[in-house]
Amino acid sequence: MRTLLPGRRARLVLVVMGLAAIQWFGAGCAAQVYQREHLADRIMSFEAQARADARRMKALEAREGSTGGVGGAGGGCACK
Amino acid sequence: MQVKRGLLPIACCAALCAASAKPCAAVATPDEATFSSLFRLFTDSGHISVRSLTGDYAVPFQGTSALSLHWNNETVTIPAIHAPAGSQEAVDAITTASRPIAGNAYQDYIKVRNEIQGDLTRGNAGVEYYVSSESDYLAQQFGANYNHDSQDQLLNVSVGTSFGYDAIQPLANDRSQAAADHKRTLHWNAIATRILSPTTMLRLGVKYNIVDGLQHNPYRNVYAGGTQVPERHPSHRERRDTFLRLNQYLPNRSSLKLNYRFYNDDWGIWSHEIGSSLDQYISHDLSASYEYRYYTQTPADFYRTEYASVDGIDGYRSGDYRLNNLASHLFGFSVHMDLNALAADHPLLGRTAIWLDYQRYFNSNNYSANILETGLDFRFQ
Repeated sequence: MRTLLPGRRARLVLVVMGLAAIQWFGAGCAAQVYQREHLADRIMSFEAQARADARRMKALEAREGSTGGVGGAGGGCACK
Repeated sequence: MQVKRGLLPIACCAALCAASAKPCAAVATPDEATFSSLFRLFTDSGHISVRSLTGDYAVPFQGTSALSLHWNNETVTIPAIHAPAGSQEAVDAITTASRPIAGNAYQDYIKVRNEIQGDLTRGNAGVEYYVSSESDYLAQQFGANYNHDSQDQLLNVSVGTSFGYDAIQPLANDRSQAAADHKRTLHWNAIATRILSPTTMLRLGVKYNIVDGLQHNPYRNVYAGGTQVPERHPSHRERRDTFLRLNQYLPNRSSLKLNYRFYNDDWGIWSHEIGSSLDQYISHDLSASYEYRYYTQTPADFYRTEYASVDGIDGYRSGDYRLNNLASHLFGFSVHMDLNALAADHPLLGRTAIWLDYQRYFNSNNYSANILETGLDFRFQ
């Protein structure tokens, strides 16, 4: 079985995600303003999810190599 | 260094542009003043505990503007060395401890961290300032963002940037005394959110960070070439993130959220993260959420479990397991209750919601942690 090199694998992932994005973002949509009631529900909120993710990132930043690193996170030397 | 000099003016210009942008479309400015409070307890298998008390206050003004404040008080407890004084186990533990060792290492090390963040939004633009202070670490960050709706508000695109400056002043350490240092972080992001149907939303984002300065633990030593030498990581790191999120509303008053994140950096770490959560209303004002997250990463180029020479790999050596191969799992469960159901007419309870969240984390390094959060949200109108 052929193994993709890391660089090629990354590009492949990005290309697939880009194509998916073009397809999804460019697709026609049938959600009129009056049809968006469910999208405004708390359990569908990206923002609430982002706040929870930010709290989690603070905890996992000191446990995983690719998490955090966006600066200003504090939690200095002895927490790591 | 050339990159850093070139990017700083761009970041400053972007911040100024965003701050002075005129409002042109409706944004997610809060309709009413809100206050929320959170208590959080983190404990792990190494007996490290972090207790957090946070508060958030947001108030709208002048129609399209809003000010929000966030504060956090944290107490971190790192346990004492658990080995007989003078034994080899104690010597090893002290030598590789990721905490300052000064005087008695056989007692808990406790530190306090305070952070404050302010966000000001006007129309589609926002600016923020963040500061975090603790005994050996002062972090500051300035940020700005701008978002724009199009296609009858079916598509929202936002861009953001921030500049962070961390001043690091290692405390007294019996084994070695690292000099004061700093870390600079430049961050950019671009995020697109698209409504795909009356029940489906998609978000796609990219993030890019350039980090310069001290990026290892100044208290940690590494076994290399048969002796202990201070940890040393490269002072420059470029980090790249791409993520995709899909939120789907389901017919039985529930939602399914899926996400994927891909990351790589110039230290050689590649990671993948997938996550899912199912949110379900149990009654009109009570909901439960179930969550799972899987994470995997490759090691940094210079990471080894043992170093044959004190020079490590290209002069770098690390005792940080986060830079090794790693896989982790996280399971979570939470409940959210709007107290309006109990007393809709009560001036306080009718505007209050409470929630409880528990997460269990464990990884391939025999590490596990429990995270317990409980919070209260209050609407002023």
